[in-house]
Amino acid sequence: MTAATPSTGRDWSDTVLNAYLAVFYAYLFLPLLLMVAAAFNASPTPSVTDWQGFTLDWFRRLPQDQRFIQGLWHSLIIAAGVIVIALPLGLAGALVLTRLQSRATTSLYTILVSPILTPGIVLGVTTMIFWRDTFGVEAGLFTAAVAQASFIASYCMLMFMARLQRQDRALEEAALDLGASPVLVFRRITLPFLMPTMITASFIAFLQSIENYNTTFFAIGSSWTLVTEIGSRMRFGLSPTVNAIGVLFVALTVIAAVVWVATRRRELARRAAG
Amino acid sequence: MLLTAAWVLGLIVVPQLRMIERAFIVDQRGDEAALVATEIERAYARVFAIDQDLLRAADGAAAPTAPSPFAPSPSSRATGAASPERTAALEAEKAEAQARIVELEAREAEIQAADRTTYALGNFTGMSRIHAWIFVSTLFYALCVTVLSFLACYPVAYAVATARRGERVALLMLGLVIPYAINELLRIFSWVMILEKQGILNGALDALGLIDMAAGEGVRFVASNGAVFVVMVYAYILFMVFPIYNTIETLDRNQIEAARDLGASAWRIHWRVVLPHAKPGIAVGAVMTFMLSAGSIAAPEIVGRGLHPDWFSQVIYRRFFESSNWNQGSAYALVLLVACVVFVLVVMKLFRVGIRDIAK
Repeated sequence: MTAATPSTGRDWSDTVLNAYLAVFYAYLFLPLLLMVAAAFNASPTPSVTDWQGFTLDWFRRLPQDQRFIQGLWHSLIIAAGVIVIALPLGLAGALVLTRLQSRATTSLYTILVSPILTPGIVLGVTTMIFWRDTFGVEAGLFTAAVAQASFIASYCMLMFMARLQRQDRALEEAALDLGASPVLVFRRITLPFLMPTMITASFIAFLQSIENYNTTFFAIGSSWTLVTEIGSRMRFGLSPTVNAIGVLFVALTVIAAVVWVATRRRELARRAAG
Repeated sequence: MLLTAAWVLGLIVVPQLRMIERAFIVDQRGDEAALVATEIERAYARVFAIDQDLLRAADGAAAPTAPSPFAPSPSSRATGAASPERTAALEAEKAEAQARIVELEAREAEIQAADRTTYALGNFTGMSRIHAWIFVSTLFYALCVTVLSFLACYPVAYAVATARRGERVALLMLGLVIPYAINELLRIFSWVMILEKQGILNGALDALGLIDMAAGEGVRFVASNGAVFVVMVYAYILFMVFPIYNTIETLDRNQIEAARDLGASAWRIHWRVVLPHAKPGIAVGAVMTFMLSAGSIAAPEIVGRGLHPDWFSQVIYRRFFESSNWNQGSAYALVLLVACVVFVLVVMKLFRVGIRDIAK
C-alpha cells in the first residue's frame, strides 16, 4: 500500500479486510474454476477428484448436438424480439416520465419499474396465461420474448432516464422556436443524443434475454432456449457437455468483462482529465 | 412529442395493468373441474389402450401368423404370443380403470353442482397446510439469504469503493463482474458438482479419511434444503454487492477521514457515516436478493432434482405443468407476488427510502 498509514490500528484492520477479500474472491471463483477444470476431464461424470485424463471430447460433441444449436437459435431470435419490443417501450416510458410534469409521475414510475421487482416466475406465468386466455396464443418463443421484454423494458427505461436527465432542453426549445416540427426535433436532436444509450441498452437487453432462465422457463411452453436446455440437462443428471458450454460462457464473459472494465476506466480517466 | 407520449402510455401502462388484472381474473375462473376432466380423459384413453392390447392378444392367440388389423408391427406380434395370464391382467386393469372413470365422473358432477361463487377465494383457502408451510419456509430461507449476503457483501463493497489505486479498483471490479455476468445456471451447476454424492466435497471428506467413498459412503448434500440455501447464497450474493458499492462510492471520503480524525472508532465510522449513506444501496440489494431467491426456480430444480423438499416456486410450477391446475397456480403466484411487494414496502419503510431510490 502506497498510502501513508497514520496508525498501526488502521494497518491491522486493512490486513483483516484484505484477508477477507481474498477469502471472498476465492469463494466466488473456486467453484467456477472447478467447473472449468471438469470440462477437460475424460470422466463421463463431471468431476475433478476422479481425473481420467485430459480430453477435448466434450467440446467436439457440442456442434453435433442439435438441441443446443437449435436452442441457441431460439435464444437469438428471442433476444432480437426483446430488443425490438423493449427498446421503444423503455424509451417512450423514459420520455413520458422526464417530460411530463404531473403528480401522477411517481405512481406511473412505480408501475413502470415494478416488473424489475417482480419475481421472474410471476412474470412468466402472467404472460403465459394472458396470451393464452385473451388471444389463444400458446406459450412459445413469442410469449417468452414478451415476458422477458416486460421487465427488460424497465431496465431500458431506467437507462434512458439517466441519460435524458443530463440533456440540455434548451437545444430542443431552440429548434422548436426556429420552426422545426416536434417529429423533426425528436429525430434530429433527441434521438442522436440518446444513441449511445440505445447501444448500451440493446446490449444489456440482449444479455439479459440470453441469460434469463426463471421467466423463460415458464413462458416458453414446449420450446426451449439454450439456457432452458442447459437447465433441463442439469436436472436429468450432470454431463461434461454442460461443463464445456460453461467454459465457453466463462470465456466469453471474461473477455466481455475485461473490455467493459477497460472502456469504463478510459471513460473515467477522460472525465477526470477533461 | 405528445403523440409519442400517448402512444407510449397506451403501450406500457395498459399491458402492465392487464398483467396485474390477469392475476385476479384467472383466480376467479377456479375450475378444479378441468383437472378432473383431463383425468377422465386420461382414464378413457387408458381403457382404449387396454382394449387394443386385448384385441391384439386375442388376435395373436387365435391366429399367430395372421396380421393384426391394428398396426402389425413386430412388437404387436410379440404380444401376440400372449398368455391367458396377460389377458386376465389386462382385463383386471381395464376394470380398475373403468371403476376410476365412474368415480371421477361422480366427482365431476359434484364439482359442477357445487356453488360456483366461491371461486375467488377457493384457490387461496384451498392451499394445503404443506404448501403453506413450504411458502413460509421459502420466505424464511430467502430472508436468510438476504441477511447473509448483506453481511458478506458489505465489507467487500466498502473495500472496493474506498480502494485508492486505479489498478486495484479495476482488478477488484473485474473479480466481481465476471462471476456476476456468468449465467446463474452455471453458477448453480458448479456448486452441484461440489455437493453431489460423487462430488468434490465428498471427495475431500474421503481424502481426509472421514468417509469411505469406495464403500458407497457419502453424504447426499443435494437432498437437503441446506444445499439449496448454500447455492442460493452463492448465486445471488453479487446482486447485493453492486448496489451497495454504487452508494458507498458516492460518499465523500473526507467524511470518513474527518470522523477518523475526530477520534471515532472504525465501528462508529461505519455505523454513523458509511452505513447511513449506503442505505439506499442496501435496500436495493436486499430487495433484489430477496426477490430472486424467493422466486428462484433454477436453484431448487437443479440442485435437488427432486431429492429435497419442494420450494414454493416448484409448487407453482407443478400446479401449472404437472397437475395443470392453472387457477390455483396463478393464485400461488399471486401470493408470492404479494409477499415480494410486502417485502419491498417493509424495506422501504425500514430504510426510509422512496421508490425512486430503490429502482436505481
